[in-house]
Amino acid sequence: MLWVLVAIVVVVGIVVAVFGWDRYRGTRAAAGDGTGAEPTAEVFVDPDTGGRLRVWYDRGTGRRDYRPEQPGDEGRATDLVAVESGTDQADRGREADVSYGSPRPAGTARSTVVPKVSTALASGAETGMSATIEVTGLTKRFGETVAVHDLSFSVTAGRIVGFLGPNGAGKSTTLRVLLGLVRPTAGSATIDGRRYAELADPARTVGALLDGDDVHAGRSGRNHLRVLARAAGVAPGRADELLELVELTGAADRRAGGYSMGMRQRLGLAAALLGDPRVLVLDEPANGLDPQGIRWLRDFLRSLAGEGRAILVSSHVLAEISQTADDVIVINHGRSVLQAPLAELMVQRNGGMRVTGPDSGRLAELLSADGAQVEAAGEGAIVVADRTGEQIGRVIAAHGIVVSELAPRAASLEDVFFELTGAEGGPS
Amino acid sequence: MTRLLDSELLKLRTTRTFYALVAGAVALIVIISALGTALGSFKATGDPGRSVLSVAGLAPLFALVIGVIGMTTEFRHGTITPSLLVEPVRTRLLGAKLAAQLLARLLLGLVGFGVCAGLVAGILSSRGIHTGMSTGDWIAAVIGGAVATMLYAAVGLGVGALLRNQAGAIVVVLAWVFVIENLLGIIPGGFGDGIKRYGLAGVGRSLAASAGHGTRIDQLPAGLILLGYALVLVIAGTIVMCQRDVSS
Repeated sequence: MLWVLVAIVVVVGIVVAVFGWDRYRGTRAAAGDGTGAEPTAEVFVDPDTGGRLRVWYDRGTGRRDYRPEQPGDEGRATDLVAVESGTDQADRGREADVSYGSPRPAGTARSTVVPKVSTALASGAETGMSATIEVTGLTKRFGETVAVHDLSFSVTAGRIVGFLGPNGAGKSTTLRVLLGLVRPTAGSATIDGRRYAELADPARTVGALLDGDDVHAGRSGRNHLRVLARAAGVAPGRADELLELVELTGAADRRAGGYSMGMRQRLGLAAALLGDPRVLVLDEPANGLDPQGIRWLRDFLRSLAGEGRAILVSSHVLAEISQTADDVIVINHGRSVLQAPLAELMVQRNGGMRVTGPDSGRLAELLSADGAQVEAAGEGAIVVADRTGEQIGRVIAAHGIVVSELAPRAASLEDVFFELTGAEGGPS
Repeated sequence: MTRLLDSELLKLRTTRTFYALVAGAVALIVIISALGTALGSFKATGDPGRSVLSVAGLAPLFALVIGVIGMTTEFRHGTITPSLLVEPVRTRLLGAKLAAQLLARLLLGLVGFGVCAGLVAGILSSRGIHTGMSTGDWIAAVIGGAVATMLYAAVGLGVGALLRNQAGAIVVVLAWVFVIENLLGIIPGGFGDGIKRYGLAGVGRSLAASAGHGTRIDQLPAGLILLGYALVLVIAGTIVMCQRDVSS
C-alpha cells in the first residue's frame, strides 16, 4: 500500500506546485516588473489661463503628486473644475482640458472624458478621487495586425462612457485587455489603479459582459449564475434576485441553449451584476436585443449609473449609445479618434435648421442676403447652418413667408461617426 | 479556494454530459463484465479474475475523455470568459478544475472497479471457477484502478488545456491510446515492448493490475510513470493557459 501513499503525496505535490507558481507570479507582479507600478504623469491645463499642472500618480502607493509645470503656474492653474464629472451638470461646461501622453489627431475635438481636478487637488492636497478605469498607452498586436494602437482614456464613477467604433476597430480587444483576458503588447489598463488580475475581489469590483453567448448550452440559466456565484463567493439567493431583475425568472430552469439571443444577453448582464460591482464593462450589450430590449437596457444602464457606478459600454451602433452615454470615445483601426462628452459633440456637430414650405426659395434669398449659410435640400426644403430657429422665425414673420416645417435637422451624429471612422459606404 | 472547487463541482453536476459519460462508463462495465463472466469459458491455467476485471479499464478511458471535455467545454461554450472574470488568476482556476476532476474521477474509478470486481468475484465463485486472486489482490486492483482513473482525467485535462478544441483533443487522446501506442507497440524489439509497458495505456493497465503477463509492471512504478505523464501535461497546459489570450 506504500505506493498509494506515494501517489497521494505526489498529487498533493501537483497542487502545491501549481499554486506555488501562481504565488511566484503574484509576487513578481507586486515587485513591479509590470508596467502597472511605474509612476505616470498627466498634464492638466486650465483652459482660461493656460496654466499647466503636471500630476504624478504612483500606482504602487496610490499617491498623487501635483506640481506646476512652470513657476507661476500654481496661481494660474487654480481654476480647474472642482466637481467630479457627472455629479454637477452646471459644471460640465467648465471641464478642464487634459492632455494625453499621446498626441491627439489633428482636427478632432479636445478631449474631456477624463478626471477633473479640483481646486483642492491643484493645491496639492491628497484625496481618494481618481479615474476608476484608466487605460494608458495601450497597444496590442496579434502577429502583424495592430488591434489597438497607443490608446488612452479613463472613466470615472457615475458616468456612462460609450466606446464606439466600427466592427474590428479594437473595442473588444481593449476591453479584454482591461479585464485581464488578453495581454497587452505595451501600455496598461487598470481599474482603481490595479490590473484586473491583481484586484482583491474582482467580481465585487468589476462586472463585465463580453459576449452574451458565453453560456453552456446545456446548463440552465439559474445554474449558470449559481456556478459563477459560488466562484465569486456570492450567496446563491443573489442569482435568483438577478434573474428577477433581468426578467428571466420564468426561463431560469430551462437549458440556456434554448434561450433567444436577447435572453442570453440579459443572463450575461445578470452575471455581470452578481457581485454588485462599482464598475461595469459591457461589450455590445444591445446585440440581439429587440427595440423594447434596447430601451429596457438603456433605462437599466441609466439606473445603474444613477447609483454611482462607472459604466463603459461599447457599441458599433451609434443610436444605442446616443441616448445613453454621457461621454463617447470613438476608435477606429485601434486608434482613438475622438473623446468628448456627448452633449458637446451634439452641439459641435449641429445639423442646422431645416425649413420647408412653398416660399422657401425666397426665405433662402433673404437669409443669404443676411450672411447666413443656406443650402437647398430638395423638394422645397432648405437647411440653414448658422441661424437659430428663433432667428429664422423672425425673418419669416417679418416677411410674411409661409412655411410648413421649421425644425432642427436630426442630429447628424451618425454622419459624424462615419466621418470620424471613415466607414462610409460598404461594410468595413 | 474552496469556493472555486465548489463552483467546479457544481459545473460538473449541472450539465447532462458528465452524467451521461459517467453513467455510460458504469453501465458498459457492468454489462460487459457480467456477460463476460457469466458466459465466458475460462481455462484453468489462465487468470480469469484479472482478465475480466480488465473490462473496468473502460473507467480510465472514459475519465480521459471526461477530463478533456471538462477543460475544453469552457472554450467551446465560451464560459472560460465568465470563469476568468470571476477568478482572473488562471492557475487557481485550473487548480480548482483539476481538484474537482481528481475527486470526481476517483469516485468513478472506485465505483467502476469496485462494482466490476464484485460482479466478477461473485459470478465466478458461483460458477465454481477459481479467480486466481487473493482478497489483497482484489483490493489492490480496485484502488490501483481508481487512481488510474483519476490520473487519466488529469492527463485529459492537461491535453484539453493545451489544445482547447474539444473534438480535436478527444480525437488526439483516443487516437493516442488506441492507435498510435498500438502501432508503436508493433515495432519489434525493445522499443515496441517499452511502449507496451510504459506507454499511457500500458501503465494504466498495470496500475489497475489488469495488464497481461508479458507487459505488466508493478503498480508502484506504473502509478509513478502515469503520474509523471499527468504532471507534465497539466503543467504544460497550465503554462500555455497562463500565456494565452482569451478572446472568445
